[in-house]
Amino acid sequence: MTVLDARPIADAGDVPLRVVVRRNPADRVYRGVARGGGVATLTLMGFIGGFLLLRSFHVLNARGFAFLTEKRWLAAQNGPFGIAAVLPLTFEIAIVAIVIAVPVATVAALFLTEYAPRRVRRLLTSLVDLLAAVPSLIYGLWGLFYLQPHLVHVSKWLSDHLGFIPFFHVQNGTALSAFTSSTFIAGVVVSLMVVPVCTTVMREVFAQAPQGEKEGALALGATKWGVVRTVVLPFGRGGMIGGTMLGLGRALGETIAVTFIISPFFQPRASILANGTHSISALIALNFSESVSNPTARDGLIAAGLALFVVTLGVNAIASTIVARSRSGASTEI
Amino acid sequence: MTSPSELDPFETHTGRPRSMPAPPPPSPPPAFDNTEAAPVYARFTDTDTMTLPPDPFIARPASRSAGITAQNVSAWFGDHKVLERVSLDMAPNRVTALIGPSGCGKSTFLRILNRMHELVHGAALAGVVELGGTDIYRGNLPVTETRRRIGMVFQKPNPFPTMTIAENVVSGLKLSGMKSTRSYAEIVEDCLVQAGLWNEVRNRLAAPGGSLSGGQQQRLCIARALAVEPHVLLMDEPCSALDPTSTRRIEETIAEICERITVVIVTHNMQQAQRVSQSCAFFLAGENEPGRIVESGPTERLFSEPEDTRTLDYVRGRFG
Ligand SMILES: Nc1ncnc2c1ncn2[C@@H]1O[C@H](COP(=O)(O)OP(=O)(O)O)[C@@H](O)[C@H]1O
Ligand SMILES: [Mg+2]
Repeated sequence: MTVLDARPIADAGDVPLRVVVRRNPADRVYRGVARGGGVATLTLMGFIGGFLLLRSFHVLNARGFAFLTEKRWLAAQNGPFGIAAVLPLTFEIAIVAIVIAVPVATVAALFLTEYAPRRVRRLLTSLVDLLAAVPSLIYGLWGLFYLQPHLVHVSKWLSDHLGFIPFFHVQNGTALSAFTSSTFIAGVVVSLMVVPVCTTVMREVFAQAPQGEKEGALALGATKWGVVRTVVLPFGRGGMIGGTMLGLGRALGETIAVTFIISPFFQPRASILANGTHSISALIALNFSESVSNPTARDGLIAAGLALFVVTLGVNAIASTIVARSRSGASTEI
Repeated sequence: MTSPSELDPFETHTGRPRSMPAPPPPSPPPAFDNTEAAPVYARFTDTDTMTLPPDPFIARPASRSAGITAQNVSAWFGDHKVLERVSLDMAPNRVTALIGPSGCGKSTFLRILNRMHELVHGAALAGVVELGGTDIYRGNLPVTETRRRIGMVFQKPNPFPTMTIAENVVSGLKLSGMKSTRSYAEIVEDCLVQAGLWNEVRNRLAAPGGSLSGGQQQRLCIARALAVEPHVLLMDEPCSALDPTSTRRIEETIAEICERITVVIVTHNMQQAQRVSQSCAFFLAGENEPGRIVESGPTERLFSEPEDTRTLDYVRGRFG
């Protein structure tokens, strides 16, 4: 800034040239379409956010700060309601999902880009894409009927052996029924849906790791793992973080699978293994039918939806910034 | 790694092929001669965990430099044959320059010498490459150890951009799992001095490798290659994109290290070939033909009185 101001005052004729760009018609049409698409997306987002805000405004206004501090949800019974329990529990489920999904996705993405033989690579890549397309209802059904009966044993084992860690502590954890419908089991099922998303993002970034540096490492006598460690992972760090955030965004909003698994619980707690948990999307799904006829209860659910919308939007915004920044290559300072 | 005592010492140099030769690539076999060895399809993965044979150089550490010999080396990219029966003896403690017009297979030949060629999808090769008498494709030396002993400097500088300058120098020690009796600080200084970079970076060893200029990056790559104590150093047009000062420094480095290390350098600069090399090989590929060595021998003779008129034309700058 100071550089510009340092221009001598007397040198009045020395003004920057006004750059005029004349575009040809094809370019102009293309720009118009692209801009239109961008504007349409933003408008849609604005409409959704605006609608949620508009519909829930009177509830938020009436409940005030209590909406954020109240744990119970008794809107249909004309009682108090708030997101102080469901929001943290939503995050707990999502974090369990991410903690499981990210290592799996990282290893899968590395295998696809660095280790898999060509033909296997193509097949597996389309399989991963296919996994991302499986409806979450299917994951939910499979999680409920197949995974849950198996996972309760894992939960019990974790609680028996690692119960001194608060996350794994379960009161009265002698019967298997103390472990059903927990944050952990819901998180595992959600992680299944997150893995394909994370894998795809990471794979794309890992595949861009510069060939010259990889060959440089190999020429020094590196093994494949050495190349991965010195070139691919440092290069892909931004993509790994971006993929994680994108997966987190998906995990936060996952509805049907969580609704299947959980049994509603309105107390934020450290233990992820104990029976009973909740999430905002499951809350909306479970309470919707009994709330439609009650304007306060209905708009209370919309307010909860607004909270989820804002949180997910924030997470995705951070994710896309990081992914975009990592594109430019090696200098992935974050 | 298994300890060397577990290995049968007589197995080491038998040249037993590790992988079965795959069917030859669809290139018409030459009618006039069928002595060409079957192509070696080296598999990278199965050698990663190979046991290390007794090091033939440990017995005589004074002569770390080992000669590298290529016999009847041919190379293919898919169906496209790019090298045919190239034989060249790159003597220890000498600098061998590879010259020739672009596209005649010099880089391919160089990459065959340290088993980088096989990394390209669809690439195949035939012939024998020996390092100090050991066949690097059929012998027992793991591919990673082969590449450690036969270092390479690429045309485009490729330091690890996120590592510091010092970390770049010692990166090869960690990557190849090499143990050294010297401290890292010693190695860093020693290698940077050898590469002619020490004075420029001594005060900023903790700066990232990517922050250096192109010429400095290339010298950093040379320092990095020297740190793993190679027997042979292959250089593929190391100065083609560099400033004159860096070029001169690198030539000085070559002159200095060739007392201990066999150097093979590809260059398009005839003056540079004359300045740095004692031996020279002229590669040429006819139109739609694979590359061959037209002539090789002492650099002085090749430049003053070549036997082949094409060599004379090339070194006089009449084509290429
Ligand atoms: N990765 C590759 N895939 C296919 N063909 C290649 C590849 N690399 C080089 N070639 C071909 O091999 C020939 C020799 O190339 P190269 O060894 O790079 O020549 P030089 O280094 O002498 O310029 C050229 O015809 C080139 O087109
Ligand atoms: Mg080349």
